[in-house]
Amino acid sequence: MTENNNLSSYDYQVADHLIKVSLPKGIVADHALPTFVDFHAVNVDLSKPVSEITISIEPHDEDLTNATLRSDISMTWGDRFRFYETEDTYVTQVMSESSNESWWMISSKDFSSSKIYAIRSELEGNSILGWLIMVTFAQASLLHQTILIHASVIEKDGHGYAFLGKSGTGKSTHARLWMENIENAKLLNDDNPAIRILENGEVFIYGTPWSGKTPCYKNKGVPVKAIIRLKQAPYNEMIWKTGREAIIALLPSSSSIRWNRNLFDQMLNSLEEIIKNIPVGQLSCLPDREAAVLCFNKVINLK
Amino acid sequence: MRLRDDLTLRQIGNDYIVVDPSQDMVDMSKVYTLNETAAWLWKELKGQDFTSETMVDLLKERYEVDNEQVLKDVENLVAIFKEQGVLQNQ
Repeated sequence: MTENNNLSSYDYQVADHLIKVSLPKGIVADHALPTFVDFHAVNVDLSKPVSEITISIEPHDEDLTNATLRSDISMTWGDRFRFYETEDTYVTQVMSESSNESWWMISSKDFSSSKIYAIRSELEGNSILGWLIMVTFAQASLLHQTILIHASVIEKDGHGYAFLGKSGTGKSTHARLWMENIENAKLLNDDNPAIRILENGEVFIYGTPWSGKTPCYKNKGVPVKAIIRLKQAPYNEMIWKTGREAIIALLPSSSSIRWNRNLFDQMLNSLEEIIKNIPVGQLSCLPDREAAVLCFNKVINLK
Repeated sequence: MRLRDDLTLRQIGNDYIVVDPSQDMVDMSKVYTLNETAAWLWKELKGQDFTSETMVDLLKERYEVDNEQVLKDVENLVAIFKEQGVLQNQ
């Protein structure tokens, strides 16, 4: 932790990327960001931060008269969410549940820096700050061969198995079925893991401070063994996907804003690289033991 | 006409695709698949203004095909380009 007059600065690492967070003095970091406790940076080799985030409790002074509303659809916040674009920035707004105030985040176009204007009374004991940092990290890390994906991840014997699917498909359920029926299967993350292509070409999957409703915040990465898209069906069947179909299987679960062609193309580049190296399957499945066992056997018997 | 400058042709294994991220509030992003001929033609046409005649000439140079068939194919392809919105607004 370093300090200047008004701010205390904290280094976090997610997927071995450095995130610098500056909080107003008097705010306890581990209270404002409880899911980040395991993510304080210890790796001194991390060079430049992928993103620098400054939190302010002053009102924001961004001119939004010429801002374009890009989205008001959010799975997390319902109608309390707005996302705008201006000439030089992206602006994320989350309205308070209990007052007419809002949280605002003003981000550079590549999300390498964000300024968050917080509601003071909601800075601690609330998930909005952590979520805004997720939005920043999801975009900023795209330029560093990393994609935040929507998935449940099982770690078994040092390898990662990612389960993708539309909301409500049963990702968490399938992960739980692995834990109950397959020896040594543990949960690595239940909602938003990060996939990263390392410099040597290996593809790793990491736990993050974001895990949906399941408190599972592990600062840990393992090589990815397989990525499986789940589809509800009245039977269990695995089909392997390649080329175009593999990209289409991963695309809806990968986080990139659609309005920034540069970031979106970076995501596609990474997806292209990932499907070259990692098997992608589609599991039509029931929520039962057989589905987990079949999935596991198919993956284990690859190659 | 001209192909949209923001769209990139990608070769994924044996497949050729163009991904068009939706700019609307609702995510209606599209993935187009091109066969080998269309992909080759896309590369030739990318980054320049062209007419149906340009396309006909290119195809006739590369493939042994009769005039009538080429004209029909090009007409179809231009209709698809327009319908799918992959042409630059001019």
